[in-house]
Amino acid sequence: MSVQLHPDADLLVEYSSGSLSPAMCVSVSAHLHFCDSCRDENLRLTEIGGSLLSQVAPEILSASALDNVFAKIDTEAADDVLKPRTVSKQTTTGTELSALPEMIQNLIPTDEPNWRFLSPSLRAAAIPVGEDSCELALHKIKAGGSTPTHDHKGREVVVVLKGSFSDEDGIYSEGDFIVHHPGEVHRPQASQNEECICLSVLEAPLRLTGTFHRFLNPLFSFNPQ
Amino acid sequence: MITSIIKPVNKVVPLVKPSPDEWSSLLEKVGVDKDRQAFSSLFEHFAPLLKGFLMKGSNIGPELAEELAQETMIKVWRRAASFQRAKSTASTWIFTIARNSRIDLYRRESRKQVQLDADDFYDQSIENPSLVSLVQVRNKQTVLEHLKSLPREQHEVVAKIYYEGKSHTEVAQELSLPLGTVKSRIRLALKRMSVRLAAEEI
Repeated sequence: MSVQLHPDADLLVEYSSGSLSPAMCVSVSAHLHFCDSCRDENLRLTEIGGSLLSQVAPEILSASALDNVFAKIDTEAADDVLKPRTVSKQTTTGTELSALPEMIQNLIPTDEPNWRFLSPSLRAAAIPVGEDSCELALHKIKAGGSTPTHDHKGREVVVVLKGSFSDEDGIYSEGDFIVHHPGEVHRPQASQNEECICLSVLEAPLRLTGTFHRFLNPLFSFNPQ
Repeated sequence: MITSIIKPVNKVVPLVKPSPDEWSSLLEKVGVDKDRQAFSSLFEHFAPLLKGFLMKGSNIGPELAEELAQETMIKVWRRAASFQRAKSTASTWIFTIARNSRIDLYRRESRKQVQLDADDFYDQSIENPSLVSLVQVRNKQTVLEHLKSLPREQHEVVAKIYYEGKSHTEVAQELSLPLGTVKSRIRLALKRMSVRLAAEEI
């Protein structure tokens, strides 16, 4: 039951200090949803920020700062009556989404993920978070189905949200945070009895391919064949 | 054991830190009663700290820092009802609000699409700690003390990361250090602050 694979110290520090890209941030949040120990560590890491804040040399604000803030609070209070802040999605139980952590549900603008066909056993639905350096998506593998063999041009992070899958290296279940490095080849397969839904972040998915582009891309000259 | 019975008579030795978390009480007053007096006290204390904190970042000037500090305090007012003293301290809770406001600022500046806020990328419900951690929160003073006792070069790296919200790679570049050095300093610092990481225990 307990989660086996966790984000490393660097990711947790960058998460608590606020330097992760939105997609990576969402993937760590998804892991924390399932993992008590990382959640506790995150709280402790966040205290570093709180402690630094409490110790820092204060800087005087303009004389009108507090009045400004009260004025904004009052106008906002008036606005809020007219337009309440986004209400979290009321997902009816039993839908595909309702099985996922609430924060993930809230990131999906439609009632159901907009699944795109990738192979007979595999569907993907992009989650738009305003990213340009990586791609955040949900992947769904049919019970017993497997994905085509593939490798990665960039780092890939996968967090299991529902069900489980396995590959050459092991079996992964809910909450597991799996990092694949560029060039690793694998072929995930969902367990026989249940479909598997994962969150995935693929960094720098756009890499020039083809012989001509290869020639232009200096990174390829370091690529051992 | 005997020494613990013999207490000095004319000298008060506080067993617990004398200051209860008065900021937490004020935050609760704001949350429950929308108490403007309490908010003003919080503002006087935290807004200058927030401005100072944000100005530590090499790319945030005084004006922007002030604007962000005010924005953060407005959110403090709006969300005070969700603050729970058993789970967090006032300064840590306010830090997370400032951190997310800063992320949104960076995103606005790089003209990313901004329909979503940093708050959407952090799960608010994960701020529910386990029982073990509740005990740790009570001993929160330790993080601050450990932080003060860090060797200078470790403190520098950790402070830069939290003050400026920069990735390890960016910090390495700015300090002209190899990335590996930055990472190992962070790990040493975490060890000293007794942050145990599940991923490292395996």
